[in-house]
Amino acid sequence: MTRVLVVGNGPAAHRLTERLHHHGHRGRVTVLGAEPHPAYQRVLLPSVLAGGLPPEAVLLPPHPAGTRVLPGTTATGIDRRRRVVLASDGADHAYDTLVLATGAAPVIPAVPGLRAPGGQLARGVRTVRTLADTAALPSGRVVVLGGGVLGVETALALRAAGHAVALVHPHAHLAGHLLDPAAGRMLADRMTDLGVTLHLGVGAAEYVPGKLLLREGPPLPTDALLLCTGVAPVTGPARGCGLAVRTGVVVDDRLTTNDPRIHAIGDCAEHAGQVPGVLSAAWEQADVLARVLTGHDARHTPRGTAVRLRSADVDLLCVAPPPEAGGAADGGHTVTFSDPAGRRYARLHLREDRIASAVLLGLPRAIAAVGQLHDSGAPVPSDRLALLLGARPATRPAPAASADAVVCACNNVTGRTLLDAVAAGARDTAALARATRATTGCGTCLEPVRRLLAAATPAGAGGAG
Amino acid sequence: MTRALVVVGHGMAGHRLAEQVRAGDPAGAWRIVVLGEEPRPAYNRTALSAWLEGTGPGAGAERLALVRAGFLTDPLVDLRTATRVTALDRAARTVTCADGTQVRYDALVLATGSRPFVPPVPGHDLPGCHVYRTVDDLERIRAEAVAGRPGAVIGGGLLGLEAANALRLLGLRSHVVELAERLMPLQMDEGGGRVLARLVARRGLHAHCGVALRSVAAGPDGRVRAVHLADGTVVDADLVIFSAGIRPRDDLAEPAGLARGPRGGFLVDRHCRTADPFIWAVGECAAVEGHCHGLAAPAHRMAETVAAQLLGAASEPFPGADTAARLKLLGVDVASFGDAHARTPGALELAYTDHAADTYAKLVLSQDARVLLGGVLAGDAGAFPVLRSAVGRELTAAPEELLASGGP
Repeated sequence: MTRVLVVGNGPAAHRLTERLHHHGHRGRVTVLGAEPHPAYQRVLLPSVLAGGLPPEAVLLPPHPAGTRVLPGTTATGIDRRRRVVLASDGADHAYDTLVLATGAAPVIPAVPGLRAPGGQLARGVRTVRTLADTAALPSGRVVVLGGGVLGVETALALRAAGHAVALVHPHAHLAGHLLDPAAGRMLADRMTDLGVTLHLGVGAAEYVPGKLLLREGPPLPTDALLLCTGVAPVTGPARGCGLAVRTGVVVDDRLTTNDPRIHAIGDCAEHAGQVPGVLSAAWEQADVLARVLTGHDARHTPRGTAVRLRSADVDLLCVAPPPEAGGAADGGHTVTFSDPAGRRYARLHLREDRIASAVLLGLPRAIAAVGQLHDSGAPVPSDRLALLLGARPATRPAPAASADAVVCACNNVTGRTLLDAVAAGARDTAALARATRATTGCGTCLEPVRRLLAAATPAGAGGAG
Repeated sequence: MTRALVVVGHGMAGHRLAEQVRAGDPAGAWRIVVLGEEPRPAYNRTALSAWLEGTGPGAGAERLALVRAGFLTDPLVDLRTATRVTALDRAARTVTCADGTQVRYDALVLATGSRPFVPPVPGHDLPGCHVYRTVDDLERIRAEAVAGRPGAVIGGGLLGLEAANALRLLGLRSHVVELAERLMPLQMDEGGGRVLARLVARRGLHAHCGVALRSVAAGPDGRVRAVHLADGTVVDADLVIFSAGIRPRDDLAEPAGLARGPRGGFLVDRHCRTADPFIWAVGECAAVEGHCHGLAAPAHRMAETVAAQLLGAASEPFPGADTAARLKLLGVDVASFGDAHARTPGALELAYTDHAADTYAKLVLSQDARVLLGGVLAGDAGAFPVLRSAVGRELTAAPEELLASGGP
C-alpha cells in the first residue's frame, strides 16, 4: 500500500490524516512533527497565553488509529530520487507520497536588539506561534508589536486578563490588509475603550531589555515584548530539493508540486499565486488532497476567506473576496453602516445580492447571519438594515433557530447532527467533539455548543463542559 | 389712520413680506414703501441659472419676475427701485436714501439680503472678475463670455456649481476651485462627494478641490488671464466668478445702534424682532438668534412671521431652517436633507453605493435606528422629496424601499 509521509503536524496535517482515513485510505501514514507536542489548534494560542485556556484545551484529537506520529522530528532534507526525507532523528523516512504541511514561521523584523548575539530572540522577547510561546508572562507591562489579526487578538486577550498592554503598529490602521480605514479606526477606538494603549503609525526603532524605543515619542517600558509581525511559509526542505517555490511551495489545483509524488497544503503552499494563510483554506486543501490521494476527482478552488477575530470583547468578521474577483469598481453594491458612538461598523459588498466581501465590527448577530450567507452563497435579504441590526421584525425565522443551521462552521456540523449525538449518548463537549468534530476548529462555537448541550441534556444528566 | 410700513430691500424676502401684508390687509391699515436697490422689481434669484439657460422669446429678465401686475398699481404700495438706503434714524423713525430723501416709518422691515464674499486676494477686482447674484451680474457675464475660452469659478458650493454650469452653457470650459476636499461640502459627505466629482468630470467640468486661491493674474490687456492656486497650479481663465459664500448686508446696524449676530446680520429673535420694537429683519440679512440663513425657503418663513405680527395675527415663530437642498444640472442630481453629516449625538449612518449606476445614498438615523434624521443622495436624488418630508419621523418602510420611492 502507498506510504504517505506528512511533514508537519499542525492543523493542516491533522486534518489531512483524518480526511485520508475518512476517504478510505488504509495505507501507512507517518507524520513528522517538529514540535514536541501533539497537534494543536494554533489559532487559540492568544487565549492560552493570556491564561484563559489551559494548554491541553487546544490539543487536537489523536490522529486516526495506525498513524505513526514522530514528534520532535524536523525534516532536514528531501531526496527525491531515493524518495526519502532526511530528518533530525537521523533516520531516512521513505515515502511513496510526500505531503509538505510545514506551515509558516514568524517573521522577525529587522529591529536592532530583538535578537541576542547567538541569533535567538533576546530576553523578554517572544513570538506567538507555538505552544512553547505560551509560558506564563512576567507581571508588568506587555508590548505587542504588530497590529494584524494576531496582534489585535493577543493584545485584547492579555488586556482582558488584566495586563497593561500597549500595541505598536507601524501603519495608520489596524489590520490594514483586511479592514478599510473606517473599520480600522473604529476597531482602534474600541480597543482604546477596552484599555489597550495604541501607538499607530509609529515603527519600533530598537529594543533594549526593559524598553522598546519608537521612531517617535518616549520609549515604552516593556516587561514582555510579543512579536506579531507576520509569518512566512516554511519552504526550506522544498527549496533544497529543487521543487518550485515562490512565496510558498507552488501547487496546482490538485495540491501537487512539480514533482507528482509531492504535495503541499496549508500555510506553506502557494496556489494560484496566493498563500491564504487562514485555517479554513488549509482545511479545504487537506480535504481536497485526501480525496485526490484516495483516487477521487477533486480540485482545489480558492474561496473567499472569512476571518473572525477570536476575542470575547470584540466581534469582528472580515470576508475577503476570492483572489480572481475584481474590486468594488467592477460593479455590484456596497452597503455601509456606521455607529461611531456605539463602535459598530459594517461594509458589505454585494454582487447579484450575494456577499462578495464584508467587514463587520460590533454586530454579533449580523456577523452570524453574514457568515452563514457567505458560506451558503444565499442572497442577502433586501432589508439590509434589519440584517445588520438583527433587531427589526424579520420576514423569516432567523437561521440560527433552525436545527439545520450550521453551529460549527469549521467542521460543517449542524444543530441536528449535534442533537443526534446527544441522543446517542454524548453528555459533554468532549464527547460531542469526538462524535461530530464540533468545537475542534477555531473554537468560536464552544459557547453555542454548550448552550445546545445544556438545552438538550436532561437536568442533572451530566456536566456541560 | 394709515400707518407707514417701510421695507428696505426688494428681494425675495422683502417682496414676500409686502405681498403678505397687502393680502391680509383689505382695509388698508398699512401703506407700504418698498425701497429696492436694484433697477428692477423683485425677481426669483434661485432661477437665475435656469433663466440663463432659456433662449428665444420670453427670455428676458421679466420671465423671473415675482411681482404681479396688481402689485405695482396698488395705491397702498409705493415701490421705489434703484433706491439705496444709506442711513437709519431710530429716534426720528426715518430712513435716508442715497439721493437724500427721507422716509418716515411706523414699522421698518430690513430685508437687505447679502452680498457675495470676494476673497481679498491680489487681482480679485480685475476686469473679468464677477459675482453671481443679480440679473445685472449675469448680463455682464453673458456679455463678456467668449465661447471656447476657459473660465473659473471660485467656490464649489451649490451656487458655484450653478455658476460653472452657466459658463458651460455660454460655451466656456469651466474650472471650479474649492477650498474644501470636495464639491458642495455643506451638502455632500465623502461618498456623495466622490460620485459628484465623477459626474461633473464627465460633463467636462474641471474641479480643483482642497486648494486655496492665491491670486488672480492679468494679461497684457489688463484683463483676467489666469487664477493661481496655493499649490502652484495655474488655471487659465478669461472670466472669473466668485461664489465663495455670502455675507449679510448689515451696514445700517452699527451707526443705528442695532445689535449684530456673531457672524454679522441684524440680530433678531425667533419672531424676527430686533431690540427696537419698531424694527424687524427678514431673509439673508437676519441673524435669527445669531444664525443667518441663506436659502429662499427660510426667507419666506421669516417674511410670513413678520407679516402676521404687523397684521395683529398670532405669529408663528421662525421654526429654524430647512437646509435641504437639491442640485439638478450639469447632468448631476445630488441632494442633502436634515442632519446630513450625522452630527446628532449617537446618530447612525447607513449608506448604499451602486457601483454600476454610480449612485450613492446615505440615510442618517437616530441611535435606535427608528427615526430618519437626514441624508445625502448623489447620482439619483429622485427620493429627495419623499425623504425630506420624512425627516424627524419614524421609518415607515425598509430604507431600501424609501430610497426607491419617487421618480427621477
